[in-house]
Amino acid sequence: MDLWNYLGIGFSVALQPENLLFCFIGVFVGTLIGVLPGIGPVGAMSLLLPSTFKTTPEAAIIMLAGIYYGAMYGGSTTSILVNIPGEAASVVTCLDGYQMARQGRAGPALGMAAFGSFIAGTIAVLGLMLVAPPLASFALKFGPPEYFTLMVLGLTILIYLAHGSIAKALIMAGFGLVLGLVGLDTMSALPRFTFNQMELLDGVGLVPIVMGIFGVSEVLLNIEQVVRREILKTDIKGLMPTRGDWKASNGPIARGSVLGFLLGVLPGGGAVISSFVSYALEKRLSKHPERFGKGAIEGVAGPEAANNAATGGAFIPLMTLGIPPNVIMAMLLGAFMIHGVTPGPLMMKQHPDLFWGVIVSMYVGNLMLLILNLPLISLWVQILKIPYKILFPLILLFCLVGVYSVNNTVFDIYVMLVFGIIGYLMKKFEYEGAPLVLAFVLGPMMENNLRKSLIMSQGDFSIFFTRPLAAGCLVIALLLLISPMIPWFSKKRAEIPKEED
Amino acid sequence: MRTPDLFSSLFWMAISLGICLGGHDLGLGSLTNPGGGFMFFWVGVIMAILSGIVMVQAAWRQSVQGEMKAIWSGVAYKKVIAVLAALFIYAYLLTPLGFILATTLLMIFLFKAVEPQGWSMAILGAVISTLVAYGLFRVWLQCQLPLGLLGG
Repeated sequence: MDLWNYLGIGFSVALQPENLLFCFIGVFVGTLIGVLPGIGPVGAMSLLLPSTFKTTPEAAIIMLAGIYYGAMYGGSTTSILVNIPGEAASVVTCLDGYQMARQGRAGPALGMAAFGSFIAGTIAVLGLMLVAPPLASFALKFGPPEYFTLMVLGLTILIYLAHGSIAKALIMAGFGLVLGLVGLDTMSALPRFTFNQMELLDGVGLVPIVMGIFGVSEVLLNIEQVVRREILKTDIKGLMPTRGDWKASNGPIARGSVLGFLLGVLPGGGAVISSFVSYALEKRLSKHPERFGKGAIEGVAGPEAANNAATGGAFIPLMTLGIPPNVIMAMLLGAFMIHGVTPGPLMMKQHPDLFWGVIVSMYVGNLMLLILNLPLISLWVQILKIPYKILFPLILLFCLVGVYSVNNTVFDIYVMLVFGIIGYLMKKFEYEGAPLVLAFVLGPMMENNLRKSLIMSQGDFSIFFTRPLAAGCLVIALLLLISPMIPWFSKKRAEIPKEED
Repeated sequence: MRTPDLFSSLFWMAISLGICLGGHDLGLGSLTNPGGGFMFFWVGVIMAILSGIVMVQAAWRQSVQGEMKAIWSGVAYKKVIAVLAALFIYAYLLTPLGFILATTLLMIFLFKAVEPQGWSMAILGAVISTLVAYGLFRVWLQCQLPLGLLGG
């Protein structure tokens, strides 16, 4: 079958009424949580994951993916109107978006953010369609050593991009690996680190951990300090950008789309980094760089395009190799597994409906977002006015019910609360949650592939150095880990924008 | 000396050693056939080494006076403790009291806990949010929420 046939399958899946509904719920919730500071896409996805248990895998993944790219759209609204980014990927949009709003141009800033995001999202979906099939075919040649070293590399890049100390990020990754291995051993079926708790035989749940670290801990951090938000009192009118705005934004959107897509494939905060790189690139290419930071529309269009394109790029490693490049994709991997689907090179052949349905739904979802974002901006502004004292009990309520409903057990609530405290203390003591969660998801796969590799080589570790791809991954991982010891690299690493900044 | 890092590294060192011991007890196997504790043991060893590095770095670095206090300064920790305590009590009472009763009580507390609101506002908010959550999860998604006292 060629690409057009697969696309036909994709459209037939994505346009089914149930999938359209779930796509709409996903992008709507995504925009909502993008607008609301205090809960991110990871928390929202873990909240809604239990609600997908009774749906088809297609509907579940379509909705969860919608939350991800919807959040990127929504994040720009708070950046422009409140000067507070709803998402880390929208931090850079504050610089010029808020200035435009102060100059009475909030409408065109919001409009261009929405159009730029739509165009970039579309380009990213096209890129995904073209890149994923050949990469999946290539990945069929991978054996356990390649998979193991690829996961080591992915985790290392995420650790390299983590905030602050690499040693602390590695400790978090180690702890995540250990947590991921709790439960029955896949080879011997013996319980490991279960402390005689029946509930732990299946391992620690992904949802309680993620909700604890990214949901409960965020609420605890927010309630300990009262944050006051001031919404700019400006009339939002004329959302359609002018011809001049379009002329200034065409190049930044195109460049941001390509850049975002390519950087999105990399593990770590692809969306965050790409928005910053896009901003820096546009400022450098501009004939009037002095306008940046004072309300230049290019400073909104480029980064917003880049962060949306990055979300499309992030699907490539997950859907072709089965390796999630960031925490959000790790959540999606968890959702795939719950629905009995293993993402990877065979997914395209074994589940073409799901693979192409999700890809096409992202195109449909981008269209929905464009339609949703522009007329509903006044609604999002109203939502921004909800005080946190009303919001935080609701977030906690949905965390509690969501986590309970996964297995109908109070044990998961306790796990979530314990990880809420751990996450809270981690932030206080400057440890990051992302390496922990990614390592937790990769842990069982890493152990499985390591053991298989050692059995294959009869205990000879050289198997990781004699196979070119595996050796290449390990060398890059090693270079990344030792590079911060060199002052120049250490300085450069500190300049990289981080997911949790 | 950076006191917060010193404390955290000591904590992780203890956890790492526990993981090493647990992994060892599970059985390391051999390189040709790694056992169930193989990965635990070696991840624990690496974590212990890294904790040692953080500890040395913490001891090496110049101290900032009152660094440990700074983490908790300006923090309304009583609110955090109160909310956490309420959540643990909720988990404990959820099965005996049932979802609707336990959740309504929790929500009233949460609405009053951080920035106190009027009783009528708190009770109304608690009842509406509980019913919405019940409708969404029990009625629409058909999740099994505990009935408790109301279930007879």
